[in-house]
Amino acid sequence: MTGAAQDGANVEIGGGPPRPEPSAASLTPRAGRQAPAAPGPRSLRPWSLPLVALLLALAAALAGSPYAAHHATLDVADAVRAVAREEDHVTALELAAWIRDRRPGLRILDLRSPAEFDAYHVPGAERADIQAVPSLPFRAGETIVLYSEGGTHAAQAWLLLRALGYRRVYFLRGGLYEWLEQVIDPVLPAGDDAATRAERARIASLSRYFGGMPSVLPRAPREDALPIPGARASGTGGGATGSSAASLQRIRRRGC
Amino acid sequence: MSAPFYEYGLLDGRAALWVALAVGLAFGAALERAGLGHAPTLAAQFRLADGTVLKVMLSAIVTAMLGAFWLGRLGLLDLARVYVPETYLLPQLLGGLVFGAGFAVAGLCPGTSCVAAATGRLDGVAAMAGMWAGVLGTGLCFGALRTFYESTARGTLTLPELLGVPYGVVVLAVVVVALAAFRAAEWAERRGGTMRRAREG
Amino acid sequence: MSATAAVVAREPAGGSSARDATRVRRTVRRAPAAYASPYAAGVALGLVLLAAYVVMGRGLGASGAFASTAAAAVAAVDPARAQGSALLARYLAEGTPAWLDWLVVELFGVTLGGFLSAALAGRLRLVVERGPRLSPPGRLLLAAAGGAGMGVGAVLARGCTSGQALTGGALLSVGSWLFMGAAFAAAFAAAPLLRRVWT
Repeated sequence: MTGAAQDGANVEIGGGPPRPEPSAASLTPRAGRQAPAAPGPRSLRPWSLPLVALLLALAAALAGSPYAAHHATLDVADAVRAVAREEDHVTALELAAWIRDRRPGLRILDLRSPAEFDAYHVPGAERADIQAVPSLPFRAGETIVLYSEGGTHAAQAWLLLRALGYRRVYFLRGGLYEWLEQVIDPVLPAGDDAATRAERARIASLSRYFGGMPSVLPRAPREDALPIPGARASGTGGGATGSSAASLQRIRRRGC
Repeated sequence: MSAPFYEYGLLDGRAALWVALAVGLAFGAALERAGLGHAPTLAAQFRLADGTVLKVMLSAIVTAMLGAFWLGRLGLLDLARVYVPETYLLPQLLGGLVFGAGFAVAGLCPGTSCVAAATGRLDGVAAMAGMWAGVLGTGLCFGALRTFYESTARGTLTLPELLGVPYGVVVLAVVVVALAAFRAAEWAERRGGTMRRAREG
Repeated sequence: MSATAAVVAREPAGGSSARDATRVRRTVRRAPAAYASPYAAGVALGLVLLAAYVVMGRGLGASGAFASTAAAAVAAVDPARAQGSALLARYLAEGTPAWLDWLVVELFGVTLGGFLSAALAGRLRLVVERGPRLSPPGRLLLAAAGGAGMGVGAVLARGCTSGQALTGGALLSVGSWLFMGAAFAAAFAAAPLLRRVWT
């Protein structure tokens, strides 16, 4: 390879490295520093690439962080529109239907503490700390449903994910209480017309799918109900508070 | 934003392998066209008689670094989801020293030895064989090395995080250092580099 | 001035026309093209690396492919031994056969790409590249020895110039820059001792 064959004709079959040009050109100082080998009249100036690189780098030094989570922008008007049109949340019954129908790409995130999650969580839910939400590895085509105890953290996480560009994100407005109230311990609508009967049947079947116990009359809170960590105090009968605590209690004691 | 495509589930395993092939083809072609499949060129770098290795490597790093930064900054790439190799201080320091010595002796690195072998250079084949044996031997003796191998782990650690400066500032520093290195390489080639002049056709 | 043109310019006026014609034909067909500018090649390489980031969320590699195939080879001969090494077992645990490993396919691509590029440029050559003072067997031995050193180093560092220096370097990983600095320092330090190999 380090041949110094200068006779001009290279008969080496298979080729060798380009032989040196026996001309004055290779001995001038320019020989060491060559322009880019792009041939033709439109080749780049030698300093154009370094200049572009330097300018991009200078701009980078002033541009802030390249990580999405550090410079997400929120289209406020768009977000407000979603809120007003109620496209930001789903009801617990809708979520229950999605789960039962095995909606593809459904991901349910529980934003409560590990202890609360272990006590009871929506079937199919994964636990996530709200701090981890911006860096969760979501994939294209996934539908994300967030819920928390009462819905506040879930609503906040909805806004965060929206700012990061995710569109198919929803939350349970009433949190886990809504789930317990609508799916586990639903009070079925009273009425004898066909529509109401159909609705009763629909809710009842959904509820039973998740081990719920639908009833027609509101349930009074049990006096011996033990305090549930995180649950609001069971007090005056009826309504979300009492039935939620009682539901949780019932579910926990059910076993298996 | 839906990049990296694979991370967002837009590519399945089979498509990923086609991507691997395409990436490899381009990588190999670029190395060969730069002359890095030719051991004497690489060896000359370490005698400061030729600057091709430094020029190619630093140009590649600067290009990819600036590209990654700006695609991230413009929200086209989720930079947090691009895999960054983890840092293990002592193993990477010692491994680097051993690797560098081997590199100088062989005149080829793993990627370029494949290019060299593919273009008929038997020394490339020998280097690949040696590398394979080295990896195999290390794997078989791994028990003795394991503690050291897993020592001084720092997880995913970037220079901006370590130095506590903005990412873009490190980008600028790298570009400045690279440009200075290019100048130095040109100077070294002019001064003592018969190899470089001999290479030009 | 291209190599082809240079040959034509130097063609002697007289002499046996048939012989001259053959020489010109051989040379015109076989004269190797000049290498590309290292900066242009580097930028191209950087763009390939960037494409890998965007499409796959990962970069390039080379030494990892050596490890997967080594693990597969050991497993084929002595499965217990392979499982006994935590390093080899990790490569086997992924379940995919070595030839379907992403890095192995990529490295195959590197080989093919290098071949095609050289073939198109007339740079294919069956040869042992070495310095003038070293014999071919000596060179082959040194290449293998250097390769072995790189194999050890690459395992410890979790990568090589492709996987650590290029991929990790462009992403500003501390360990990658540490590796690159150490590797170049060692290579520059070792080079004066290796003059007899190359010059």
